[in-house]
Amino acid sequence: MKKFFILLKKEMKELLTPQMLAPLLIVILVFVFIGKVVGKEQAKMISSNNIAVLDQDNSTESAQVMDIFKQQKFNITQYQNKTPDEAVTLAKNENQKALIVIPAGFGSGVQNLEPQKLQVYTIMKNFSLSGIRISAPIQTALALVNESFSNDILAKKVTDANLAELKNPVASADTVVVGDHEANVSPAAISGFISSQTTFIPIVLFLVIVFASQLIVTSIATEKENKTLETLLSVPVSRNAIVSAKLIGAGLIALLTSAVYLFGMRYYVNGITGGAMTGGADTAIKSAAAQLGLVLSTTDYILLGISLFLGILVALSIALILGAFAEDVKSAQGIISPLMIMILVPYFLTMFLDISTLSPLLKWIVYIIPFSHPFLAAPNLMLGNIMPLIYGIVYMLAIFIIFVVLASKIFAHDRILTMRLSFKKKK
Amino acid sequence: MQVNNLTKKYGELKAVDAISFDVAPGEIFALIGPNGAGKSTTLKMLSTILRPTSGTASIYGMDIEKNPEKVRKLISYLPEEAGAYKNLSGREYLEFMAGLYAENSNDAKQYLEFAENITELKGRLKDKVKSYSKGMARKLLLARTVMTKPKLAILDEPTSGLDVVNALEIRTTVRHLAKEGMTVLLSSHNMLEIEFLSDRVGIIYGGKLLQIGTANELKKKYNAKNLEEVFINIIK
Repeated sequence: MKKFFILLKKEMKELLTPQMLAPLLIVILVFVFIGKVVGKEQAKMISSNNIAVLDQDNSTESAQVMDIFKQQKFNITQYQNKTPDEAVTLAKNENQKALIVIPAGFGSGVQNLEPQKLQVYTIMKNFSLSGIRISAPIQTALALVNESFSNDILAKKVTDANLAELKNPVASADTVVVGDHEANVSPAAISGFISSQTTFIPIVLFLVIVFASQLIVTSIATEKENKTLETLLSVPVSRNAIVSAKLIGAGLIALLTSAVYLFGMRYYVNGITGGAMTGGADTAIKSAAAQLGLVLSTTDYILLGISLFLGILVALSIALILGAFAEDVKSAQGIISPLMIMILVPYFLTMFLDISTLSPLLKWIVYIIPFSHPFLAAPNLMLGNIMPLIYGIVYMLAIFIIFVVLASKIFAHDRILTMRLSFKKKK
Repeated sequence: MQVNNLTKKYGELKAVDAISFDVAPGEIFALIGPNGAGKSTTLKMLSTILRPTSGTASIYGMDIEKNPEKVRKLISYLPEEAGAYKNLSGREYLEFMAGLYAENSNDAKQYLEFAENITELKGRLKDKVKSYSKGMARKLLLARTVMTKPKLAILDEPTSGLDVVNALEIRTTVRHLAKEGMTVLLSSHNMLEIEFLSDRVGIIYGGKLLQIGTANELKKKYNAKNLEEVFINIIK
């Protein structure tokens, strides 16, 4: 055991190099930086909805339109005695985000129930999401303008009816059913809440598996290239200790990396969504989710953790075997590609498809790939499908044991030094 | 050490073809031959990291195939052009290797002290191995190989690629250790240096061991001035 720890210490020292830590640090800094900058810019944009209004009507109704926009936190600059073309030029020069033209006769037209048109010029300076985001609040304000005028007109014409009931004679009430549980909440809100809780898991798992596998394959390839592996294999240390130290060393680094990525991504998403994606959800939605049994308990988190960790261990055990084929560091990068494909397939399938609706053949293919199970773990737990999760854990454990035994056998044999992939034709 | 008909095949290629020799305790025995002659494969089999296709070998009575773990306690192997872990300092590397051999911290301390004396790297031992010159790295690795005072040191091309000064220092160290009782099996394609270093030599070519004897015996037998001439006369 003492020799295992000596080997593990060496693995950690070899893996935790400034070259390895620097990109990790950069990832955190980039996530934090983007999160902060985007968050700040968005807050700035929300507080600076600058628009211009060319009022060619100067009526009570046109004033009512501007009041509604002001209530919606728009900063309005009013233009008078200009043609629409002149107003557009001025708005562009003044960096206004939009120009709304209220035509002459707007007020009397509204009163006479004649359809009226407000011309909205959206001034686009780039095509990013932030560049066109002014459009949505303008549409919201315009809907409120319509609501306000229609209420005024209806109030004058119909005096003996409830306006709200008159305008919405058919109301709907949403109830979401999950298993035996029900809650009065919209399915969109629940779906949004669930994805906010589980959205990081597949991304972080994918990054960590790829990173850890590369780490272990490169570590074996480096040992082969530097011939330190030959030295190591000739010392009185069990080959199992060598394999375990490599596996656990890379596993620990993978855990550290996943913690860093998780922290970085939460910070990033918090920055760009103002916390809505990471726990800032409405209390009502949270309690509805709890009512539906969609909130993970401590046991659920433990099961989820086991599933994720086993996914990483399976990747590492496969990487150990792939590493045995590597002749040098250069060839190590190519050798890892079969593992990448095995991870990418379930990653994308579980992200875009409902596995339960796939054909039996496709479903089995997905289940045979061990990495599908950690990707499916969180949704299964949320929906109370414990058995598929347990089967997944047992399956991954079996695969892990098989590959570790295989890796130990390769390391115990001289195949570790003689195995290589050869694509040359035999003479 | 006794080696009988040791053979290693890689597919159809016979890298080592039924070679037999023995090495007495405290002796320096050198396998000499050109690149690709089968020297390194032989040493790797005797170091238990490659399995023979056929034949047997035993070290102090321990069969290399039946008791590889016991053999590893008796030997220490220095691979050709081996490196050390580049992100460790020289001292950390020696500590790491000492820990793998030592039964207790006292042993580890002794191994470390012995290795530090042999390397003569002194203050540079605290520097990362990647900053070492080729000569410094080779001295570190030689020190690592012999620090446990193994019964048999297996050195594959110990002076390969080194300048005259470093090569001489390493030869002196090997000679000194053998005088203290360590058995040494080494390989080299530099036949002239072997003449001065080894007690007996085995000339290997095309995987076959063609001749064994002292340098003087072989020179006399083939009427040659040095081992290079002996080699040329043998393969003619």
